[in-house]
Amino acid sequence: MAKCGPECEETLREIERFLDHEVDEVIRARVERHLSGCGDCTDKATFRVHLKALIQAKCAEHEVPDGLRDRLRTLLAAVDTGLDQG
Amino acid sequence: MAQTAQDDQALRERFERDVLPLLPSLYGAALRMTRNPADAEDLVQETYLRAYRGFAGFQEGTNLKAWLYRILTNSFINTYRKKQREPQTVEGPDDADEWYLFDRLGGQRVEGSAEDEVLDRIPDEAVKKALESLPENFRIPVLLADVEGFSYKEIAEIMDTPIGTVMSRLHRGRKALERALWQTAEERGLVDG
Repeated sequence: MAKCGPECEETLREIERFLDHEVDEVIRARVERHLSGCGDCTDKATFRVHLKALIQAKCAEHEVPDGLRDRLRTLLAAVDTGLDQG
Repeated sequence: MAQTAQDDQALRERFERDVLPLLPSLYGAALRMTRNPADAEDLVQETYLRAYRGFAGFQEGTNLKAWLYRILTNSFINTYRKKQREPQTVEGPDDADEWYLFDRLGGQRVEGSAEDEVLDRIPDEAVKKALESLPENFRIPVLLADVEGFSYKEIAEIMDTPIGTVMSRLHRGRKALERALWQTAEERGLVDG
């Protein structure tokens, strides 16, 4: 940490928004320029990218319970015929 | 509503074509929100019902997924917030903890194993549990950003929250998630505590 310069601090302050693609062109270019020459910040950025990918891969659901699709269709058909109105 | 049967038919077909395919991701999000399959299924049904009733007012070509997630999030908050009383805070962000997980995993020096590999070895179920352990105000932004890939602006619209609030909750939620993941890794003996 101690060896971190002001440029590193500035980069790390922006890194979350940078990785979320939420910074403007100017900041993006500045962060990229710094990362291309700083191994420590690149390691941290890479770690966050992997972490985000891992959370996405492990928390996304690919299976829907048996019959849910059919139950939804039945529900929607009931709306069409007005049967759902209490 | 003076709709003809033909309009109804077209709307129904468009709904089935565009909205039903989003079911797996919507069900997954519902599961992370409610934390149990029975409630998740109820929440998804309620969301689809509301969406279908409001679908005539949805402008084709605008952001359908965000529109649907807004209905999901509203339904969840209205129905389940009362049911699932829980504290809505996470431990305050400590500046020194900015790189909480990175620093800890980096200190492991597992033979030939990078930080990422430790994370990879955490089972899916445990990662889901870690996310589900966050209070709802933090869990939802993390879910919407990191699992569903929504932008800050979209999340602000979905949650009906100012964008600055979204950013701070997302930041603190991610920190809390890092702590939960570290705890999980420790409990499973994947790292030396």
